[in-house]
Amino acid sequence: MKRGLTTANTRILTREARLAYLLLLPAVVVVLGFMLYPLVYVLMMSINKTNRLGWLTGFVGIANYLAVLGDREFWRLAGRSLLWTGLAVFAKTFLGMCIALLLNVEYRGRKIARMLFIAPWASSVPISVLLWSWVYNPQFGLLNHTLKLTGLWPNPPIWLGYPLSGFIAAIWVDIWLGVPFMALVFLAGMQSIPEEQYESAHLDGVNAFQKYFYITLPSIKRILQIATLLSALWTFNDFNAIYILTGGGPVNSTDILITSIYKNAFVYAHFDRAAVMAVITFFILTAISLVYANFYFKEES
Amino acid sequence: MKQRHAKWKDRGKSVVIVLTILLLLVMLFPFFVMITTMLRSSKEVYLAPPRWIPQAVTFKNFVLVWTQYLLAGYFKSSAIIAIGSTALNLLLSIPAAYAIARLRFKGQQLALYLFLVVQMFSPIVVVIALFKTFARLGLLDSYGGLIVINAVFSMAFSIWLLSGYFKSIPVEIEEAAFIDGATRRQTVLKIILPIAAPGLVTTSIYTFIAAWNEFLFALSFIQTQSKMPLTLGLYRFVGRWSSQWELLTTAAFLAVIPVLVLFYIIQQRLVAGLAGGAVKG
Repeated sequence: MKRGLTTANTRILTREARLAYLLLLPAVVVVLGFMLYPLVYVLMMSINKTNRLGWLTGFVGIANYLAVLGDREFWRLAGRSLLWTGLAVFAKTFLGMCIALLLNVEYRGRKIARMLFIAPWASSVPISVLLWSWVYNPQFGLLNHTLKLTGLWPNPPIWLGYPLSGFIAAIWVDIWLGVPFMALVFLAGMQSIPEEQYESAHLDGVNAFQKYFYITLPSIKRILQIATLLSALWTFNDFNAIYILTGGGPVNSTDILITSIYKNAFVYAHFDRAAVMAVITFFILTAISLVYANFYFKEES
Repeated sequence: MKQRHAKWKDRGKSVVIVLTILLLLVMLFPFFVMITTMLRSSKEVYLAPPRWIPQAVTFKNFVLVWTQYLLAGYFKSSAIIAIGSTALNLLLSIPAAYAIARLRFKGQQLALYLFLVVQMFSPIVVVIALFKTFARLGLLDSYGGLIVINAVFSMAFSIWLLSGYFKSIPVEIEEAAFIDGATRRQTVLKIILPIAAPGLVTTSIYTFIAAWNEFLFALSFIQTQSKMPLTLGLYRFVGRWSSQWELLTTAAFLAVIPVLVLFYIIQQRLVAGLAGGAVKG
């Protein structure tokens, strides 16, 4: 018997559909069980009182939301999260672009340079962040030693000891982690631009800057949009850089929403508060990812 | 005229190379610190001011990490979790990806959309509620819990990537097999999967790396020392033995090497997959 793949026979279609649902079932079940159910439970926690184990102990409506939104600390966290994401994504895009442009020039050893630039992305994030905490060590760490010795910064700060320098140190680690992805994606885009476009521009006497702004940038515009969106999602979500490096300290001064959610739940056992912040975070992230999905599907069609 | 142009071009190239080297020095600095620290004795680690290069290079830390601290146990845990997650991930995502790529059914777009959105899901949002789910299912402080959750969190990307691979295989090949009397199961096992092997390799490596590097779930759910994966084990080590960076950098080096190698195998395909086809156009 011939099984139809393309024929639009209704009977076969239903059979095909039944098989499809069967094949999708396990994947959908685990997504529902381990992602959507917890999400619903987080929603429940956000509108209930919770005990120290996270059990619901009584409906309170939007009281938890009002408490969180009325708290200055929450707005400081939200502001820091946005600042964190904005600064880091901007820096990643800029540095990634610089590296991609450099790697787009042909010379011997370019392949090796490309391999080496990927290293921060290729290695394990939590372990890299641990390494950075050693790099930042004020007494024995090599960063401050190098800054002093090369005269770049004769009097560098105790990086992880103060709110501002701690925040800068953490954001730099996040940037450092995210640059390789940007560079590689931009490079892939640049390499798909046909050489003739540059050649004819060259004959017309166009200089390097004009080439970049009139040929390179427009050609990789879509990639730029998608990569920055993805990067914004990852950056907003980054837990490791801050948690491992500063633990949000000193005195919660470097916490962002993500690390604060974790601490509220697992350190202070304020599950209701953590849940409210998680729900707000969820909506921020969903907004960003819907924009991404729309971009993606526009491209597909 | 032409010569002058060539000269400029050469000069431009040297500028590019110099800038590349400077940026590489910045980007690779932590790795330099790792290597120069792991090759010295503890006496030379704690010098103020510190030294870039150790005076006496030693490899004894590579022995000490196995004897003085539970590196073997962490490696074992990481391997179990990463291999388990990869296997479970493939088991769940191959059928789903095949259905999305090859079969026509109502809700196909919806399924695609669901998996794309789920790919963006934040672990932190669900981790606070997962604790309770895990407690009820007896998955707290177990390899099983981490295997399941790591598999789930990389599944969306796997389905996405695999369905792309399946779609790129011409339907005619499958139809020919059906005409020859092959069942769908035979066709998938003997034709589709072997052709899609590069996609399966990419997916497996991606899942393996993601699970190997995972930290948040391990931090939240694992209590027992012997079940800790490398990421959590090393993190706790810093807290407890903050004065032994020569051992920590050695352990970090050993923990990173396997992922580094695997990552270089798939990086090109990963970039294309993550940039969502936009790279092509």
